[in-house]
Amino acid sequence: MGEHDVDPFAQATVAVQNVHVRYRVPSTDAAERRRGANFVKRAARTVLGNDPKVLVRALSGISFVAKSGEQIGLVGQNGSGKSTLLRIIAGLENPAKGRVLAESTPVLIGVNAALVPDLSGEQNIRLGCLAMGLTPDQADAAVPEVKQLAGLGKSIYLPMKTYSSGMGARLRFAIATAANPHILLIDEALATGDAAFRERSEARMQGLRDGAGTVFLVSHAAQTIEETCTRAIWLNHGRLVLDGPAQDVALRYRKWAWAVAKDKPDEARTIIEKAFAEREQTHVQVEESQAPRQYNARHVRPSGVRSTDRKK
Amino acid sequence: MHAMSAPVPPLQPTSSPTPADVSDLYAEVFKKQPASLEIVSTGRLKQVGARPPIRDYIRQLWGRRYFLWAEARAKVTSGTRETLLGQAWLVINPILNGLAYYLIFGLILDTRDGIPNFLGYLIIGVFLFQFTTQCVSSGAKSIQSGRNLIRAFTFPRASLPISVVLRSILNLVPTIGAMFLLIVLLPDHETWTMAALLFPVVLVLQVFLATGLALLFARLTTIVPDLTQLISVAMRIWLYASAVFFSIDRFAEYPSIVGLMEANPMYMVLDAARDCLLYATVPDASTWIGLSTWSVGALLVGFLFFWQGEESYGRA
Repeated sequence: MGEHDVDPFAQATVAVQNVHVRYRVPSTDAAERRRGANFVKRAARTVLGNDPKVLVRALSGISFVAKSGEQIGLVGQNGSGKSTLLRIIAGLENPAKGRVLAESTPVLIGVNAALVPDLSGEQNIRLGCLAMGLTPDQADAAVPEVKQLAGLGKSIYLPMKTYSSGMGARLRFAIATAANPHILLIDEALATGDAAFRERSEARMQGLRDGAGTVFLVSHAAQTIEETCTRAIWLNHGRLVLDGPAQDVALRYRKWAWAVAKDKPDEARTIIEKAFAEREQTHVQVEESQAPRQYNARHVRPSGVRSTDRKK
Repeated sequence: MHAMSAPVPPLQPTSSPTPADVSDLYAEVFKKQPASLEIVSTGRLKQVGARPPIRDYIRQLWGRRYFLWAEARAKVTSGTRETLLGQAWLVINPILNGLAYYLIFGLILDTRDGIPNFLGYLIIGVFLFQFTTQCVSSGAKSIQSGRNLIRAFTFPRASLPISVVLRSILNLVPTIGAMFLLIVLLPDHETWTMAALLFPVVLVLQVFLATGLALLFARLTTIVPDLTQLISVAMRIWLYASAVFFSIDRFAEYPSIVGLMEANPMYMVLDAARDCLLYATVPDASTWIGLSTWSVGALLVGFLFFWQGEESYGRA
């Protein structure tokens, strides 16, 4: 597994540059209701039945670069920003600050993407393929393969709203991989599948990575990350704690999670602070490309590189 | 290739013993971690979720035409899927609607308002106005109701309001069939002339108008969600301002009201459609010019306005 980390020819597929995400959301916290607002504002809230809005920092200052052939696991407790990060990478949401660059359009398999609940699984496959930009012929050609990967048997002809969460997740995974995406983002989608499906889906992901793709995987189970990923990123309260080889990161995360679960806050803090201190911070610098030229002499460096050299 | 990583010892003093000591010292003093620099080029990597230029946007939309069509078709039938008569309702419903109007306005109230062929007048008004109402009100909710698709797939978001319009067009086909049936069968017979051939042109202009409004309100409601509550009221006022149930001659004494109503694009649509189908006249040039201006203008403004907000819909 580790050999991917040192591959010098791996190309960057995703670059996340200093991404910040903030939400303004209503809060029913009584303390929040009392705080800050003057009488008029509070009265207006009471009359309109609105809750005060609070600022939630879902992600702050996330930077990293993913390379081709990597399978990156995202670990962290609930609400640590893993799913938000995936949505940002997929381009479904835009960050308040920073930006994300990708080699091709990333495909996200989310937990709550119910597609069209009234339609049958089969119709959803076709619709999903068309939504990803396939032509009707390509979509029709992809349908049997998707059906086989999902492995839902006769249930594929039933409306999707009758599916269990596991069945829905299997179908979504199968649809998302139909277009052979180079960058695949999986949000807990495989956690609900059974053993047979897990094996098939892992084979499929391996296939995508072999084709120089990159897979991002969110999972609470650090063991899954350890077993299947080459690299792991640990998020805590929207901050990047550690970014490194999957085994090391997942092991530390498990120790930390164990300490939290056993109600040993001091031990947990020590682990997380140590990880913070040892982390190698990544700065991503985006170089605006010049207009493409027919021929670039090997010894002629783009001026952008030189200017960054000077900064060092 | 483009992504190379090089360790950058941050702000280190030049006369230092070893780099390791310095980075440790630095971490101690400034509570900062060592950093590495990754350089990527926009030549190979493209920003995700960025709004494409308008030309690319239109090209992407055109590329998704099969998706739009499939989605519209799926949604049309999904409304009647759980009924016993299924798709037959798409035809039965407008016929029953028309008969209800015939019952109330033609038989019970008998309010003709001096309008020749009042039932035809009424049915054209009600059915065509219904199309605009449907486009605007479901178009306004299209981002909200398409949230699952938005969160699952990357596609030009204008697909959603446009697919709502397509769905309404699919609904309109049986409605127009029912409309012709009722106009022909119900009393007051009309003479068919070549003017009736202009009716499809009126419809196309109405579709442009409705698409523009659907796009416009789709974005507006993502900015101010409260608008969804107002739209139904606004559509009702517009209905009465478009002379659906009565004749504009009622306001002959108030030229300002007549002027306002005649500038209203839906009045122009209904007026032109009635001229073509009921009264065997070719609509005035002023109607054509006014309606085309409204329709093309609404489509352009709505499309550009929606496109400008392309990056904001993921959060809706």
